Amino acid sequence: MKRFNVLMTLALLFAFMMLAACPPPTPEIEPEATSIDTTTAIPEDTVTEEEPEAPPEIIKESQFATVYFDFDKSNLRSDSKSGLDANYDLLMQFPDVMVKIEGHCDERGTVEYNLSLGEKRATSCKDYLVGLGIDASRISTISYGKEKPVDAGHNEAAWDKNRRCEFKIVSQ
Amino acid sequence: MTKSKFSFFVLILLLTSPTFSFAQSDDVRNIHFDTITTGYVEPTPIGVDEMKYVGNEYIDKTDSSLMRYVTRIVQRDIDFYADFDLVPIDSFFIKTYEILELDLRGWKRLGADYVLKLEAEFPGRRNMRVYWKLYYTFNYRRIDKGRFEVHRDEWRYMAHRISNEIVRTLTGEKGIFLTKVAYVKKIGKAKEIAIADYDGANERLLTKNGSINLSPTFSPNGKEIFFTSYLETDPKLFKVNIASGRLTKLTDFPGLAAAPSVSPNGKRLACVLSKDGNSEIYVLDMKGRIKRRLTNNRSIDTAPSWSPNGKYITFTSDRSGRPQVYMMDSDGHRQRRLTYEGKYNDSPSWSTRGDRVIFVSRSKRGRFDIASIDTSGIDYHIMTEVGMNENPHFSPDGKHLVFTSTRLGKPDIFTMDVTGRHQRRLTRTGNCTNPVWGPID
Repeated sequence: MKRFNVLMTLALLFAFMMLAACPPPTPEIEPEATSIDTTTAIPEDTVTEEEPEAPPEIIKESQFATVYFDFDKSNLRSDSKSGLDANYDLLMQFPDVMVKIEGHCDERGTVEYNLSLGEKRATSCKDYLVGLGIDASRISTISYGKEKPVDAGHNEAAWDKNRRCEFKIVSQ
Repeated sequence: MTKSKFSFFVLILLLTSPTFSFAQSDDVRNIHFDTITTGYVEPTPIGVDEMKYVGNEYIDKTDSSLMRYVTRIVQRDIDFYADFDLVPIDSFFIKTYEILELDLRGWKRLGADYVLKLEAEFPGRRNMRVYWKLYYTFNYRRIDKGRFEVHRDEWRYMAHRISNEIVRTLTGEKGIFLTKVAYVKKIGKAKEIAIADYDGANERLLTKNGSINLSPTFSPNGKEIFFTSYLETDPKLFKVNIASGRLTKLTDFPGLAAAPSVSPNGKRLACVLSKDGNSEIYVLDMKGRIKRRLTNNRSIDTAPSWSPNGKYITFTSDRSGRPQVYMMDSDGHRQRRLTYEGKYNDSPSWSTRGDRVIFVSRSKRGRFDIASIDTSGIDYHIMTEVGMNENPHFSPDGKHLVFTSTRLGKPDIFTMDVTGRHQRRLTRTGNCTNPVWGPID
């Protein structure tokens, strides 16, 4: 019986060694978001052809570019910056306009984390515009996290569209 | 000795079989997890007999179906419970032996260690009275009995009371069959806070404001639910009284107010505020006044959750570049990272005993699995095999979990025991997320 116990112990040791020897799970490769073609540039004429003296026309929300982000990121891509530059021009052109930047995320990750991430994205946009010279009091931010997707799909294409900041007009 | 020799042989066979090491599987991990953390034992097989009428008066179809309903609920409770297995009635067996009525011997042959027998009366037609008797098939002795009488409309409540008694008798612990689960239900474009029995029955909406309401969490006494709402455009913290439905706004800071968690003594509220531009974790009093700021950095800090003893708070932070699970003392000191496996770990909450943290781990092939880790950050285990899970929370008895899963396409609430078995889908509408399990009583 004693000998049997020794054998048993050896077998268990062997079992643990086998377990320990198993290869570690291969590191996951993050599916990086493919850069997408954001046709965000606004029509040139609305920006440049305006006469400075003319009474400002009513600006439409759709004139503001939507800004897109990479997965789990709140830093601005180069295409995001060009979109924001266009929005800057609009804000300069219509100095009475107050906007709210809505930060959004794709469906991956939890509600709480995405709320904070959306907030960070909106703040990135705001900071960029304030850095360019827009008065901070003209821009407010709000995060909807992953609660308001524009595309309800569950694929990269949908996620690319959902990771965004939208500009909403509060008053003008 | 011959028996142990045989099992030794089986063990060697198992160990040396090629599939064993190849699998390296979550199975092995699960077994490890069970034995180490929950003192796993085989569930006790329990037979639940069909309820019999023992009164003297004539009963109609409604009465007999009521008796059947109560039996079914008790059976479902027993079937759900981590420590129990419901013994199914084997109709082939019954036909073969021409058994008209399962006696204790019959139940024993079907494998039941215990048998619950139920008898009903309908005193004054309005009420339903049920006698329950629990037998041990080893010696055919009755080990406990009891009686409940309720208005017949409260049959569901009574069934759960009986199940709780069985748990008390056989485990000495409090049953969870009268607990509630709260969650978020998407209705049109709105997201409302809903509450239901632990098994998904009696669902009702606690908010009907047509706005977005998120992240419900129970107060420790189970009487209120705290949550984030976009009711006043910007996300703010609210609470709702479950009984009266009365809504109270708690915060009015600029920016985000989210992810509430009430301290176990019910006196403090941990949450996320972005009033200074970035998401930081704060502790508020129950009127929403800031008592302390716990985090201070440029990263996202969110999803705070109090440990059961109130000494620690676990949370998510992406200060390392990706969201990972951290813990700190509840005054904000000693902030330390718990998770290193998996690139994306989020949504932490505590085990009922406070020895482990469960969270969502984006581990393999981009799946979101439920994982757990001990508070030293060493003992990491994945608990689900099917990915796309979110928001795991323990039941108050520490034996079960509630979580969101999109494994069937659309999000629904699921429950399971800590070993991953007894999985059950609570909601079937495909629009429910963010569940939390309320306290006992």
